[in-house]
Amino acid sequence: MTILIRTLIATAASAAIGLVVVAEAQNFQDAPSVQSLEARLDNDARLFGAAVDVEVDDDLLEAGRLVAMGGAENGGSGMACITCHGAQGEGDGSGAFPRLTSLPAWYMYKQLIDYASGDRPNRVMSRIASRLTEYEMEAVSAYYSVLRSPREPVIGEVDGELLQWGAQLGAVGSAERGIPACVNCHGPNGSGLAPSVPYLAGQYARYMEYQLQLWKEGVRDNDPLNVMSTIAQKMTEYDMRAVSEYYARVRAERIQDDGVAVVPE
Amino acid sequence: MAARTLPKTDVVIIGGGWTGLAAAYELANNGQRCVVLERGRYRHDATYFAGPGEHDDLKYAHQYEHMMDVSTQTLTFRNTPEQTALPMRRLGSFLPGQGLGGAGIHWNGQNWRPLPQDLQMRSFYVDRYGEQFLSDDDITVQDWGVTYEELEPHLDFFERVAGIGGAAGNVGGEIREGGNPFEGPRSRDYPNPPMKQPIATTLFAQGAAQLGYNPFPIPSANLTAAYENPYGAQLHPCTYCGFCERFGCGYYAKADPIICIYDRLVGHDNFEIRFNAYVMRVDKSSDGKTATGVTYVDEDGQEVFQPADIVCMCAYSLWNVHLMLVSGLGEPYDFRNRTGTVGRNYAYQTLAAATVFFEKDILTNPFMGAGALGMAIDDFNTGNFDQGDLGFVGGGYIGSTQTNGRPIAYQPTPAGTPGFGLEWKRAVRDNYNHSGGVLLHGSSVASPSNFLDLDPTYTDVFGRPLLRMTFDFPENDRRMAAYGLERVVEIVEAMDSVVSYATVNRAGPEQNYSVVPYQTTHNTGGAVIGTDPGTSVVNRYGQMWDYHNVFVFGACLFPQNLGYNPTGPLMGLAYWTLEHMKNAYIPNPRPLMDA
Amino acid sequence: MKFSRRAVLAHIGAAGLSAALPVRSPAQNAYADLEGRPWFFFNDEQARFVAAMVDIFIPEDEFPSASQAGVVDFIDLQLAGPYGRGEGLYLQGPFPESTLPTQGYQLPYPPAELVSRGIEEVEGGQDGIRLVDRDLAGREAFVGALSGTQQSPVAGGFFDEMLKLANWGYFADPIYDGNRDYAGWRMVGFPGAHAYYLSFVDKHNVPYPVDPKGIAHVPGEGPAEFLETRSREG
Repeated sequence: MTILIRTLIATAASAAIGLVVVAEAQNFQDAPSVQSLEARLDNDARLFGAAVDVEVDDDLLEAGRLVAMGGAENGGSGMACITCHGAQGEGDGSGAFPRLTSLPAWYMYKQLIDYASGDRPNRVMSRIASRLTEYEMEAVSAYYSVLRSPREPVIGEVDGELLQWGAQLGAVGSAERGIPACVNCHGPNGSGLAPSVPYLAGQYARYMEYQLQLWKEGVRDNDPLNVMSTIAQKMTEYDMRAVSEYYARVRAERIQDDGVAVVPE
Repeated sequence: MAARTLPKTDVVIIGGGWTGLAAAYELANNGQRCVVLERGRYRHDATYFAGPGEHDDLKYAHQYEHMMDVSTQTLTFRNTPEQTALPMRRLGSFLPGQGLGGAGIHWNGQNWRPLPQDLQMRSFYVDRYGEQFLSDDDITVQDWGVTYEELEPHLDFFERVAGIGGAAGNVGGEIREGGNPFEGPRSRDYPNPPMKQPIATTLFAQGAAQLGYNPFPIPSANLTAAYENPYGAQLHPCTYCGFCERFGCGYYAKADPIICIYDRLVGHDNFEIRFNAYVMRVDKSSDGKTATGVTYVDEDGQEVFQPADIVCMCAYSLWNVHLMLVSGLGEPYDFRNRTGTVGRNYAYQTLAAATVFFEKDILTNPFMGAGALGMAIDDFNTGNFDQGDLGFVGGGYIGSTQTNGRPIAYQPTPAGTPGFGLEWKRAVRDNYNHSGGVLLHGSSVASPSNFLDLDPTYTDVFGRPLLRMTFDFPENDRRMAAYGLERVVEIVEAMDSVVSYATVNRAGPEQNYSVVPYQTTHNTGGAVIGTDPGTSVVNRYGQMWDYHNVFVFGACLFPQNLGYNPTGPLMGLAYWTLEHMKNAYIPNPRPLMDA
Repeated sequence: MKFSRRAVLAHIGAAGLSAALPVRSPAQNAYADLEGRPWFFFNDEQARFVAAMVDIFIPEDEFPSASQAGVVDFIDLQLAGPYGRGEGLYLQGPFPESTLPTQGYQLPYPPAELVSRGIEEVEGGQDGIRLVDRDLAGREAFVGALSGTQQSPVAGGFFDEMLKLANWGYFADPIYDGNRDYAGWRMVGFPGAHAYYLSFVDKHNVPYPVDPKGIAHVPGEGPAEFLETRSREG
């Protein structure tokens, strides 16, 4: 079913059919009601007064859903978020489209700001973000922060030693090379530390590895005081692959069948 | 007799903390083979201090996992020489370290320079107010024998080793807005910018400025940018996690001896460090003019003699003095006759503070903290104000810090709140996110009745007599604390959004110094630096008068304690000593000054 | 809120116990049976005393009492372990009668022994009425009278030790079995062991309402329970 929906969405977007059809696709998947999403707006998902002083409520989530599906004030982003990141924010394993589901809202909002300003350079995302209003950035960030979707099974086998090294770097870093442990900042088991630190657990390996390379090369430097570049510069290609492959396989949260998250066949 | 004698080394260094590792780095790279003896175990920031495991308030802040084990060795304490000293059975007032990095891994990172007049304290006050001003009170403050101009390059170098963030107040004589206008001229700015400030310290700074004082950010070894130090160590910016004092930093964001020095030295051909090597004594030659090496107990409990051409004493200040006393190095201070120098001029730190309670719309988020996060004024530090009519010497900075909101200890409650029960519980909850503090961090003069010697009764597990500390706040410092607390209160009353405040004065009337509540790990003196062998243990280069191949490091050198945290000054002294060892002593070993 | 069932039940007292547990016959150690593990250090009498005492220190209001937050369990574990045995404590004699307050703790007992002796010494108590047999006002009076007591060095040391342990147990990381469900941290708004505030420290007067996370936090759930208590029937 998941595959079918993605095909539908892709078709809709590429044919530039627009909001109505995409919205239908969304409805087709029995997305959770905004009210039920609002109930999930726990403290950690909130915007922490990111910029626009608005209540995080169902209006905001409704607006967020609209943006996610490509509809927005300034003609929208020109592209629906769900086209690439999926209706549930599930992304894909290509390395280009990270999982957005339940990332902290403040973090996503800041990425959109940075895409728009060029602080996080990315041709596609910069163009999209620069056409969103601040309110829309907040809305779509809040929306994705409360979505839940199943983790994609990690495809491909990797060397056990690589995973072990990734786990070690994640938990205790490397004294020899001066690499601090990932868990210092990325939350319990790499599950993220809202509002400002994204999760690693269950994110796509190729995305994380690619981002680490960008940090290392200094292409990406939009975290406060450039902490990640300093760390990535101490890492080898092997280190980066190791932590990425490891965290892609970590399931920080116990799988709960709350009626939304259904593991695809 | 030692069971085993090892091959001789060029330099043996007692202690693997800031001064010991700095000595090892400089001397190993100067061609000397260095052996460091560390009484504790190996540990490392990345692998031992990673969060969240390191963020265990109980284990590290309250059960002292990183600190010295007093069941092995402690000291005895009394307030006055007439009393019987009893053992400090658990840690409290101060927290010496144990293990790689020493106390340098659990410091807060407040890194100061001494004022020019601090280093010439006696001559400064005699010049200003006359000899009588000091002799009235029977205090034994004295000059360091080394001047600010001489120390400046070394103070500057340590600021670079530790990547200090701050705002310069005086660069080459040019006073800069936003910095400390009272500081001695510095050759250049700090290597990194100052820390970001939270609301509580900002309100303090505004209040102080309103009264015409000169607030500036506290110089910080909590890094404010990605930084590479002169040794090539790469440090990371501080996350303001609020687990600084009493904790190691797994983020590489608090400069410590492991990441700043050890990592850049380990593997060097001239460097060896032995862990779990507890030094028992410094051994002396038969002619009594030099030391021959040190004897230690290794991890198997065996006594080992490590011969060396040079001994560097880099233990914590108190234990350097203890080692001298148990080794018979120098002449022990005799309180009754006021003779001898080892153990003389022990001093501490004089603290008085106000806890400030803000209006409820002030959200302090106290858990967003860092060890050196704060603002200070130096208007009331030694010699920065007219003390002619006040009747005391010394002073201190007055500052507001936000170090942590860890709730086992961070429980600001208004005056009159009971110590437990419903009312206490309510007060803890109501004030947790709406409080701040203003602290006088005061100096400590030397006094003839405050000293260190050996205890006649109690021993450590090795059978050596314990160090005995005799200390209470001298009258001079009580006057200073009372005056400083008045200034603290004036500032608090000038601050916006203050509802009430509660004061504490550790040196208040009827208050005797106690080893129970934590105050500071700033124990100083006992082996002081100077130019007169009658009043100092080491000459102005840190070289022992009596044993020219013994060099002494650390806060035990301070003739009296400054109104500042000691790490900056003691590291400045360390690099000063190391320079003279490399350039003057090692090419031609001899006493560097005539006694 | 996950209360410590065992400690809550300690308040009911032995008499109330069978009534509270109609489904099972009383076991030899009722508490052990309830929680699936025995006390590590206390006996039941001591546990009841400690529960009563720490709940005077930290009573229930909108937030749990000390015993509800697992403080009795915390103290039990602490006293059974290295801390209770006096690790990190210098215990060489002699131990003179006369000491100065500025010299700190000067009794020959490690914390576990101090607590046992302290309970024994004060339990008979004032007026011959035991702490656990008093009503709330009576308990407050009992504990209040111990505060700053000059009754004996043991009683004074015991009171200080218990107040310290109760505070530790209410606010320490839940890995030590107190601070259940982050009761103490929620009360003050402390976010816990996972901490990264670089983007927020200089944003003044902005609330930071995150849920607490301890060292062994299970995302989406709460603190991991290492000593998970299950009934034997499960």
